[in-house]
Amino acid sequence: MNVSGAQGWKKLAMGFASHAGFLAVLLATWEWAARMGLLDPTFFGNPAGIISFLWANFVLGIQLWIELGWSVMSTLIAFISGSLAAVLTGLIFVIFPRLERFLDPYFSALNALPRIALAPLFILWFGLGIGSKIAMGFTLTFFIVLSSTVAGMRGINQDHIVLTDTLGASPRQKFFLVTLPGAIPVIFSGLRLGLIYALLGVIAGEILAAEHGLGQQLAYLASTFNMNGVMALLVVLAWLGMAATSGMTRLEHHLLRWQ
Amino acid sequence: MRPMDLPLTANVVAQQAAIEIKDLTLSFTAGTPTIDRVSLTVPHGQFLSIVGPSGCGKTTMLNLLAGLIHVPHSGTVRIQGREPRLGDHGIAYMLARDSLLPWRTTLENAAYGMEVRGVAAEQRRERARDLLVRVGLGGFEKSYPKQLSHGMRQRCALARTFALDSPILLMDEPFGALDAQTKLQLEELLVDLWQEERRTVVFITHDLGEAIAISDRVVVMGARPGRIVTDVEIPIKRPRSVRELQKDHVYHELYAHIWEMLEQGYKK
Ligand SMILES: Nc1ncnc2c1ncn2[C@@H]1O[C@H](COP(=O)(O)OP(=O)(O)OP(=O)(O)O)[C@@H](O)[C@H]1O
Ligand SMILES: [Mg+2]
Repeated sequence: MNVSGAQGWKKLAMGFASHAGFLAVLLATWEWAARMGLLDPTFFGNPAGIISFLWANFVLGIQLWIELGWSVMSTLIAFISGSLAAVLTGLIFVIFPRLERFLDPYFSALNALPRIALAPLFILWFGLGIGSKIAMGFTLTFFIVLSSTVAGMRGINQDHIVLTDTLGASPRQKFFLVTLPGAIPVIFSGLRLGLIYALLGVIAGEILAAEHGLGQQLAYLASTFNMNGVMALLVVLAWLGMAATSGMTRLEHHLLRWQ
Repeated sequence: MRPMDLPLTANVVAQQAAIEIKDLTLSFTAGTPTIDRVSLTVPHGQFLSIVGPSGCGKTTMLNLLAGLIHVPHSGTVRIQGREPRLGDHGIAYMLARDSLLPWRTTLENAAYGMEVRGVAAEQRRERARDLLVRVGLGGFEKSYPKQLSHGMRQRCALARTFALDSPILLMDEPFGALDAQTKLQLEELLVDLWQEERRTVVFITHDLGEAIAISDRVVVMGARPGRIVTDVEIPIKRPRSVRELQKDHVYHELYAHIWEMLEQGYKK
């Protein structure tokens, strides 16, 4: 145990060192190419500039933290409301399959619609504030989580249902003891994707028209040709997406430790 | 055709039977009925096994008793004098597959039936724990099904079934998918558990040897149409040990005897 633990740490350190080395070489090459005029900093920025932008705005100042907060808040609200609505709708569909069959063409059409096309409408309806961003994220999350909820609840092991029926379970017991826990692994794969798409919807909405948020900042920095700022925000967004995914993975490991 | 049936039926008239099937004929589709004129009376406390070829309607009959299927049929079926009803607390049903809930621990699975039927939490935990020890799963209370072997999972399902206080147990080939050694262990366990309380059991199996070893009575069915071919009482005294019986000459004679009747039945 001790030995393997030590070996594990060693492996981790080795991995860390090799990635650090790779990035150092990459960034140094980039910086060198920028200074030699091989890679125009007007369009690509340069690592020193990006790092100093991050330093100025995330360490010395807090302005970008506030913008990050707006984006995260919108994403969380979109994700949570979209997922709850989807799970409830999925439940209704599973209870009333005929309703699902009837609504299917409409839902398919809405789902097929490139969602970004709704943005102008949402901005008119919900304004420039976070309302329109939440609406964007909501529509993306909703359909993803809905389809996984329906698939998960349909895919319940029939043996579990038969056993529970012979025990004389009420519909409520059947739902909370079998259908919901049995569907959670599949619902979770939808939630994981739904969170990433909520972020996508929110950032896209902010880029189009907004007062706050990382997307709005990104659009502003690009329009003023602040390439170091744009690159810095892309790094922050990638980090945000990865944090969201790993948070979901952790939650999944905890909730689905029986798998 | 059913030599042992008469005295038995006479016994039972006085008290109400646990299960009473009269002239049951049932078809899923037009043509040959799946079950053809089956009559079967199971007195309280009897351990009955039903043996028969695949497709003769054993599962169908059990499902009908449990109220799981609703197919037009003629004749009458009564469970403790009542019509079969899905979720009847008088019945505990054990399926061929363990149907343990993978997100529940062994203890929670063993207590599952009681939980659905509203037994208080403290009481069901105590009973489930006792039964897990009885079936040899003491120490595995916190394991999840994926951590258990096939035989262990079936032990847990056995604990879940016996944890219910239903007077009638319906079991559909619970040991059908186990290897010979594990199967013998679980048969022994089932007989031990049953001998403590002597509830009514209807046990379905493909294995005539298993049926004779554990039952008070064996009903052999034939297929197409599903009907009763032989109905034999097993005069081996209780308490029994399934393992010991493997060396018992009465057991082997009975086996040969029923086998012969069975073959005659098939020829008809
Ligand atoms: N829901 C159903 N619809 C139509 N036919 C059915 C249905 N269930 C069973 N049958 C038919 O009824 C017959 C008896 O099936 P059943 O499952 O009762 O057999 P069994 O004796 O339990 O067989 P096995 O030993 O293989 O489990 C089979 O021929 C089967 O095709
Ligand atoms: Mg069967």
